[in-house]
Amino acid sequence: MFSFLFFSVSRAWQGFWRNAAMSLAATATMTLMLLLLASFWIVQAGFLASLSYVEDKVGVVADLEDDARQADLADLQARLGTMPEVRSVEYVSKAEALRRYREERLAQGQRDLTQYLAENPLPASLEVKLRTPEDYRTVASFLGAESVVAKVQNIEDTTDRLVSLTSFLRTFGVLLLAVIGAIVLFIVINTIRLAVLGRAEEIEVMRLVGASDAFIRWPFVFEGALVGLLGAALSLGVLMGAAEPLSQFMVGFFQILPINVGSISRDVTLLVVGAGTGLGVVGAWVSVRTYLIR
Amino acid sequence: MFQPERNGGPKLAPRRHVLVLNDVTKTYPNGRDALKDVDLVVPEGDFVFLVGASGAGKSTLMKLLIRDELATRGTVLLDGDDLARLPRRRVPHVRRKIGIVFQDFKLLPTKNVRENIAFALEVTGTPRRRVKPAVQRVLALVGLTDHAEQYPKQLSGGEQQRTAIARALVHDPRIIIADEPTGNLDPLISWEILQLLLRINELGVTVLMATHDADIVTALRKRVVALEEGRIIRDEVGGGYHRGG
Repeated sequence: MFSFLFFSVSRAWQGFWRNAAMSLAATATMTLMLLLLASFWIVQAGFLASLSYVEDKVGVVADLEDDARQADLADLQARLGTMPEVRSVEYVSKAEALRRYREERLAQGQRDLTQYLAENPLPASLEVKLRTPEDYRTVASFLGAESVVAKVQNIEDTTDRLVSLTSFLRTFGVLLLAVIGAIVLFIVINTIRLAVLGRAEEIEVMRLVGASDAFIRWPFVFEGALVGLLGAALSLGVLMGAAEPLSQFMVGFFQILPINVGSISRDVTLLVVGAGTGLGVVGAWVSVRTYLIR
Repeated sequence: MFQPERNGGPKLAPRRHVLVLNDVTKTYPNGRDALKDVDLVVPEGDFVFLVGASGAGKSTLMKLLIRDELATRGTVLLDGDDLARLPRRRVPHVRRKIGIVFQDFKLLPTKNVRENIAFALEVTGTPRRRVKPAVQRVLALVGLTDHAEQYPKQLSGGEQQRTAIARALVHDPRIIIADEPTGNLDPLISWEILQLLLRINELGVTVLMATHDADIVTALRKRVVALEEGRIIRDEVGGGYHRGG
């Protein structure tokens, strides 16, 4: 078993270098395809993060009656907290509402006119964050029926439009990634098939001298894995080189997003290494199979 | 190395049959009968010429022997194994009992002579320590010891064919199947290759050689099996290339 493994790996290594032109062409194709895949993956990850960032902004705001009793309010908050659609509930007091309004005016560079008011005209409110924007209607109508609620701020149309847009964009993104994945799959497998085809004579000689299928197949499979791993290493090298300037460029954009650079780079590394090795192995397996079945 | 008794001594009568074809017919999917009702028995140690025009069925017969194709009807026994009933995973083991030599040599251009020969042992899982001495022996037998490090493109046609014969022999096969081994060589070199095959035959290896070379067949007076349109039309010992030749 060990000697078979040694044989296969050393033959794979020999095969790779003795057919250097073909092997390097396959590796180059593999590298480019993995880069393509990784780039789309990264774009997709950023894209999805942007979508959920936008969706997080959707919530139900219910203005409260000024004379609402503290106990009723606490009761409503508790009941909201148990609803599966609700992620969080925040109580904004009249004073807090005023403070936020003033801050906003200030940030916009406008004069603060509220100091001339005799009393605070802003209502206290409950700001309900949702698990998904699709639940807007359910929560809004629930709140509308409550006696302590004066008015539910109506952003139904905006929410509907946002929901249909984001779900379209999500589907589109997944489809695009699937198409790219399929293209990568076909190109890589065809490249490896060509490389194996170039050695049809070697395979035929092996068959004729009585090599078993395993002895024919595994060196090629290991060679495919080698092409995949080399391609993955090269792609990761390029990505790492590009990561610094790229993130500099995008820092302003990504800063506001709830994006985890660590988890994305981990995912991309896994994707590139996994896809590279997998494609190499599958490509070689499929290509050699053609010559074995007789 | 080429002792008639192997695998711990003779199992059967001294002249056992390496090859038996019994009523073999091969019909290709297009309906053409490449072989019809072929009966052929080759005892161990025979030297057999297989002659016939192109399309007479020589290549099909060879493909049946190495189990590249299966007979449509009839049985093919190689060293006692019924090729039609052989499980797929056993096919490589049977092929190791056959040494195959082709008109176009089929040497790997990226390997030198020694590596080309050793390749046949390596890909069949022979332990490394046994590879080197076996390769040395066949190199000496075909007279290529001095050319061991050269690559096929540095060799003459005759030397390339000798390399191919060495590769076919390195497994210690029971039978050498040579498909037009002199087809690409000039007459003088052809004779050299024939001398080599005769010597191997004298060492006890059965040889089945398909050829178009009438001079060689007629001069050697060995057993001749003639095929025409898929049938054996002549099978005689000491015959010429042509009937009564």
